[in-house]
Amino acid sequence: MNTIFNRIKLRHLLYQGIWFQDLPKDVSVDGYRIDNVISYTDLVISIYFGIVVALLVYFIFQYRSSRGHKAEYDHGDKRKNVMVTAGLGFLVFFSVDAVIETMAFKDLREAFWNFPKGENVVRVEVMPQQFAWNFCYPGPDNEFGTEDDIIPTQNQMHVPVNTPIVIQLASWDVIHSFYLPNFRVKQDAVPGMITPLWFQAKETGVYDIACAELCGNSHYKMKGYLTVESEEDYQKWLNENSPQETDSDGWDDWEDDDSDDSGIPENWSWAWEKIK
Amino acid sequence: MGENKMMGSNNNTIISKYIFSTDHKVIAKQFMALGTFFLFFGGAMAMLIRWQLAYPEQKVPWWLLGFIFESDGGIITPDMYNQLFTMHGTIMIFWAITPLLIGTFGNFLIPLQIGTHDMAFPKLNMFSFWTMFLASLVLLSSYILPNGAASGGWTSYPPLSSPSGGIPGLGQTIWTLALIIMGVSTMMGAINYIVTVVRLRTPGMDYFKMPLSIWGLFLASILNAVFVPVIAAGLILLLLDQTIGTEFFLAGRLASGDPGDPLLFQHVFWIFGHPEVYILILPVWGIVSDLLSVFSRKPAYGYKVTAIAMSTVVALSSLVWGHHMYTTGMSPLLGKSFMFLTLLISIPSSMFFLNWLGTLWRGSIHFNTPMLFSIGVIWVFGLGGLTGLYNATVTADIYLHDTMFVVGHFHYTLAASVMLGSFAAIYYWFPCMFGKKLDSRLGKIHFWGSFISLNYVFFNMMAVGYAGQHRRIYNPSEYSFLKHLSGMNEWITIFAFLLGIFQALFLFNIVWSLAKKEKSEKNPWHATTLEWTVGYPIPHGNFIHEPIVFNGPHEYSRPDIPNRDWLGQNEDKDDFIRD
Repeated sequence: MNTIFNRIKLRHLLYQGIWFQDLPKDVSVDGYRIDNVISYTDLVISIYFGIVVALLVYFIFQYRSSRGHKAEYDHGDKRKNVMVTAGLGFLVFFSVDAVIETMAFKDLREAFWNFPKGENVVRVEVMPQQFAWNFCYPGPDNEFGTEDDIIPTQNQMHVPVNTPIVIQLASWDVIHSFYLPNFRVKQDAVPGMITPLWFQAKETGVYDIACAELCGNSHYKMKGYLTVESEEDYQKWLNENSPQETDSDGWDDWEDDDSDDSGIPENWSWAWEKIK
Repeated sequence: MGENKMMGSNNNTIISKYIFSTDHKVIAKQFMALGTFFLFFGGAMAMLIRWQLAYPEQKVPWWLLGFIFESDGGIITPDMYNQLFTMHGTIMIFWAITPLLIGTFGNFLIPLQIGTHDMAFPKLNMFSFWTMFLASLVLLSSYILPNGAASGGWTSYPPLSSPSGGIPGLGQTIWTLALIIMGVSTMMGAINYIVTVVRLRTPGMDYFKMPLSIWGLFLASILNAVFVPVIAAGLILLLLDQTIGTEFFLAGRLASGDPGDPLLFQHVFWIFGHPEVYILILPVWGIVSDLLSVFSRKPAYGYKVTAIAMSTVVALSSLVWGHHMYTTGMSPLLGKSFMFLTLLISIPSSMFFLNWLGTLWRGSIHFNTPMLFSIGVIWVFGLGGLTGLYNATVTADIYLHDTMFVVGHFHYTLAASVMLGSFAAIYYWFPCMFGKKLDSRLGKIHFWGSFISLNYVFFNMMAVGYAGQHRRIYNPSEYSFLKHLSGMNEWITIFAFLLGIFQALFLFNIVWSLAKKEKSEKNPWHATTLEWTVGYPIPHGNFIHEPIVFNGPHEYSRPDIPNRDWLGQNEDKDDFIRD
């Protein structure tokens, strides 16, 4: 029993045990939309729960039998009672649910499902496997599935700051989920499907990539790093990772190797799907 | 000859009376024993999960049965951790809550409260229990396999749960098999409950004179009868994938021929899975509605509205499964529709929730142990229901999906509400089932201890999820954005241990109260429903004369009856007025 008391560090109670946590720092352009919906929900459900608790406490004290309160014979089934209950039910619906829904649909229309188009969009293909993240950039010709595709080291993703990033996600084996807590991004990678998503970073730095869908015993270690950097640094990084024409140790080797499942996937990469 | 002896009049052998009994009350107690065993089994696994999250990769202490992990150097390995949360979820949902609420109270209450002699199909009832028992043995057998039990999560999504998904051993297959057998048992039970309620109500017992507990159990059985076959079909396909190499749910590299569809399983799973959460909570809604009325000595407020609202939730619950799948990449249009349908549920839910408060309003509230637990349900279900709003929202769910927030939310609705509701029911009906009253002082300590610790645990699970901690990870300290949560995770664990300790107190209370000599009176709570009109022990066949029902189930504090604040369902009010 002593062990448990040795392990409890009192300082945790002082500043970590009892209050609310914050969302992780948001470094994306549209993440604030999600934070706003969450904050609005926080606010209204706190109010409604507060009212419920206040009523509950009041009733418990006011109508306790030890105070000698006699119960009233009331079934609460008169037209008036039912109208009040139904009215309050609809009030909750219109003040909470309908508002959240309007906010969410607007955000989906304006941001999350409104994929950016144009020249300056950076396109990346992401293919997770047990238990690593693979990335593929189209290279100078801006076409996937060609010789000049850039395949950096596993688990390393770099993107330029203030540029829309469009990703297509597929899975090599089981279901994974591409989770960027600091960008409010989460999207499952399902075998047999190619799923698009997009985000835009507004601050440079190195952020965690996590897998949010159980994918096996090392699920917890399936961690990548997303480096957000300036356009120049990004271009420099791309050049460093470009396949060398004379170098035969590039990704071509893997394409020839069809027996080994442990390395980089052999059907990497697929033709870019049009986003409608 | 020997066979005749077994089948004939020889009704009094121990085997026919206590083991292969067709008496619904005995079967209820059998389900209660099974459910309680698995409740503590699943609870112990929760403690180990919490240990790992608070003290990752540290030696498990002896008082958490550390010797189990000796072969791995005393620590929980990632494989073991995945098995723990998989089996914790599976066991708590299908082997603890379902038998405790639907198996126990469905069996015990339905015939007694509607005033009939037994279930419509007593032998099917017995068969349902023993099929469940078989399923339990199959499930537990996976622990003796060389690679241990299933570890693909209680949702068991393929391709991970298929052999090509990389989980070694047969655990996943045994899991599927056990769930199919469990499903067979549930279907038999559901059909039986439905037929009993529809066909065997005693004269005068209209649908709108049934106690709300029966409404809850009846609606839960309808959902079971409709949706368990769906998951059973899905699981059979999964079993074929796992055993004979079909590829219903495989795609991409893992499929050799025409690809199947991993999402198909998720659809099938959640078409059942979302109604399942209502299957678990509906009996609690009904029981709490009744108990609040009994201990406020006041008719249940808006009885019909509550019954109809519960039925509406049942209907809507079958149309919302997609809110579990917002991030899978299914059609965006579906996401919007599912969000709208999910939010609709808040209208009927808030209506019966308000009716609970309405029952307390101007009542005469007695704080007996079952009442404390029922009031506790109002609190935890309020929080659990409201936090569902985040998960119903497509955008908020992008961030919160698969985080500890979801885990905290569904533990509020399923673990907290259902646990407190089951305890309320056990404290309330214990005199009816066993002829003894549970000790109320221990009961109150049990309530306050459980209530405080489970709120701490589940609320802060939501808090760490809010901060980004995703679920089912072996070691949260791997990630830089989760490092600052280690203190909070540790505190959650400490309160989880407290929660466990208070449940041990409950077990002690049961054993101690059963051993007591003092017998409970016939109707200790002065309740109106029919199960209290027969004294303990209730004989096989329940009622000597078929009861005739005159009144609704909540006739408390009638002003026209002198000297008594209740009127039984089978009592004629004129008898009292004339006196």
